[in-house]
Amino acid sequence: MAYLISEEAQELLGAVKEFCENEVKEQCKEYDRSGEWPKEIYDKAIEMQLHMLEIPEEYGGMGLSRVDVAALFEEMAKADAGFATTISASGLGTKPVLIAGSEALKKRACKLIVDGGFGAFCLTEPGAGSDASAGKTTAVKDGDSYILNGRKCFITNGGIASFYCVTAMTDKSAGVKGMSMFFVEAGTPGLSTGHEEDKLGIRTSNTCDVVFEDCRIPASNLIGAEGKGFSIAMKTLDQARTWMGCIATGIAQRGMEEAIAYGKERVQFGKPVLKNQALQFKVADMAIKIETARQMVAHALTLMDKGLPHTKESAIAKCYASDIAMEVASEAIQMFGGYGYSREYPVEKLLRDAKIFQIFEGTNEVQRIVVANNTIGKF
Amino acid sequence: MEILVCLKQVPDDSVEIHLKPGTEEVNLDGVDSVVNAFDTYALEMAARLKEAVGGSITAITIGPEKARDAVKTCLAVGANQGYLISDPAFEAADTLGKSRILAAAVRHLEAEAGKPFDLIFCGREATDRATGQVGPQLAEALGVGLITDLVDIEQTGAGICAKQETESGYRRVEAATPCVVTVNKPAYDPRYPTIKSKLAARKMPIPVLSAAELDNVDPGRPGSHVVRVYEPAKRQAGVKIKEETCEESVLKAVAMMADAKVL
Repeated sequence: MAYLISEEAQELLGAVKEFCENEVKEQCKEYDRSGEWPKEIYDKAIEMQLHMLEIPEEYGGMGLSRVDVAALFEEMAKADAGFATTISASGLGTKPVLIAGSEALKKRACKLIVDGGFGAFCLTEPGAGSDASAGKTTAVKDGDSYILNGRKCFITNGGIASFYCVTAMTDKSAGVKGMSMFFVEAGTPGLSTGHEEDKLGIRTSNTCDVVFEDCRIPASNLIGAEGKGFSIAMKTLDQARTWMGCIATGIAQRGMEEAIAYGKERVQFGKPVLKNQALQFKVADMAIKIETARQMVAHALTLMDKGLPHTKESAIAKCYASDIAMEVASEAIQMFGGYGYSREYPVEKLLRDAKIFQIFEGTNEVQRIVVANNTIGKF
Repeated sequence: MEILVCLKQVPDDSVEIHLKPGTEEVNLDGVDSVVNAFDTYALEMAARLKEAVGGSITAITIGPEKARDAVKTCLAVGANQGYLISDPAFEAADTLGKSRILAAAVRHLEAEAGKPFDLIFCGREATDRATGQVGPQLAEALGVGLITDLVDIEQTGAGICAKQETESGYRRVEAATPCVVTVNKPAYDPRYPTIKSKLAARKMPIPVLSAAELDNVDPGRPGSHVVRVYEPAKRQAGVKIKEETCEESVLKAVAMMADAKVL
C-alpha cells in the first residue's frame, strides 16, 4: 500500500476492495453505456456506510484520518470513477457547512448524509464557470427568510441530493463580497432540477441543472455571514480539490493494473508483449507518475488534517493527478493496441472518465493560476 | 434464541491451489485466508434469524492465532461475541477430533453462560477439504438432532422449520431445539460489514479457549486415514453450445449426442 495508513484503515481497505470488486466494477460497465444513475449500487454503498467517510466523528462519522479515507476513495475510484465522484461530491456539498455553518446546520447536513442522503455544491452557472464571481443567482432577504432565484449548472448529484449548498448574490453591487452561501434542502418549494447532462465519462454520476424560482428558505440557512459566500466557496474547493486528485490517481492506478495484466497475457512474436522493454518503460513511467500523484494527494490531506495552509498543495495534487490520469489512461490504451480502443475492454472508459478531472472543481488552467499566485506572491 | 456459529478459516477459494511439485504438500504460499464461504452463509442465516426472533450469536473457530481474523470478520457482520479455540494439542486433529473439541467448547460456553445454545450453525462443508463431516459429527458428539443443507430457516412454536435442499428439490423439516444445522447457499448473499461495525469489531475481545479451559479434551485417535494426496486430473476442454435460443441449444445438444451414439 502506497499510502501510509492506520491498521484499522488497512482492514477497511480489504472490505472496501471486496465490495468494489463484487458490486461496483463489473456492474458499472452497463451503467456507463446507459448513463442511468445506478441507485441499487449506491444503496448498497450507503448500507456499508461508504457514503459518509468524510463526516466528522462528532457528527456521526468514523473519525478516520483523511489519508485513511483517501486509500478507501482510491479503491472506489479504481472500480468506477463516477461512483467515487458521486460519493466525493457529497463531501464537497457538505464542506461549506462544515467550514462556516452554524452548529444546527452542521448537525442537519451530517444527519442527512448519515441517514443515507447525498449533498451537492452549487456554484457554477451558465455564465459563471472559471469566473465563479460572475454568478447571477440572487438571494433577497424577506423577514425571516431568503428568497433565491437563479439557475446553477453542471451540478454533480444535482438530481439526487438531499441538500444543496448554493452561492447567491445578496448584494450585486459588491462583486465577490456580495456573494453569500445558503443551505437548501431538497423538496423546498421553488427548487427544481433541470437538464441532465449526457456526459463523456463518469456516467454513473448525476450531473444536472439546479433551478431556484422564488425558493424561500429560512434566514438561519445562511452559511456563515452575508458576503462571505465566495470565500467559503474557495475554502471548500481548496479542500475538495485534493479528493479529485485522489480519484484521478485511482483511475490511473486502474489503467496501469489493466495494462500490466494485459501485457502479461497478450502474446506477440512468441512472447508476452510486456517482455518488451518498450512496454516495461511505459509501465515504469506510469508508476512514477501515479506514485508521485498519490504522495502529493497524501501530503495535501496531511496538511489539512494538521490545520495547516494547503491551497497550493491541493491545487498541485488535483492538477498533477488529473493530468497524469489522462496520460496513463492514454498509454494504457496504447498498450492494449486495437483492443484498447474497443468498448469491450476496460481502458477506453478510463480515458473518458479521466478527462473531467482536468476540468471540474477548477480547470487545470485555474489550478495553475492558484499555484502561480501561491508560489510567486504579490509583486 | 441463543445461536452458535462454527466457522473455519480456509485458503482463498478464488485462487487455484496446487501441490508443491513432487510432494503431497499443498502450496499455500501467498494465498490469503478467508472465512469458509458456507460458514459465511451460515452466519448470514443465523443473523437473519436473530434479527427476526431476537437473541445472540456466538462465533467460534479452531485454529492458530491468525484464525482470530476469521472471528473478527464475523463480529462485524452479526456475531455478538467470538472465541478462538487454539492449542498446540489440537493441531493434528482431523474432523472427528475437531468435532470433539467443538463439542467440548459448546459445553464450556454453555456452562459459562448458564444456558444452552438453541441452535448450532455450521457450513455444509469447508471449501478446502470439502468433507462435510464436522456438522454431523458435532451433532453426534453433543447427542442432538441434525438437519443438513439448509437454505432457509424459521422459528416455530416447538423449535425450527428448515428448508432443506435435496438433489431433487426442497424438503421442509421440523425439528426440536437444540439441534445442529448445516447450511448450503441460500437465495441471499452474506451482508457486507458496515464501516462502523468493522471498526467496532476490531475493539471487541476475542478470548482464547485452550485445552485447559476445555477440560483437557482429547481429540482422540483420528477417525480417518489419508492414503494419498493428489491433484484432480485436468478436465478436457468441452464443447460449448450457444445457439440463438435455449430450445435450439437443446436440439443441437441432443443431435450431437445422437451422432455420438450416446443416446
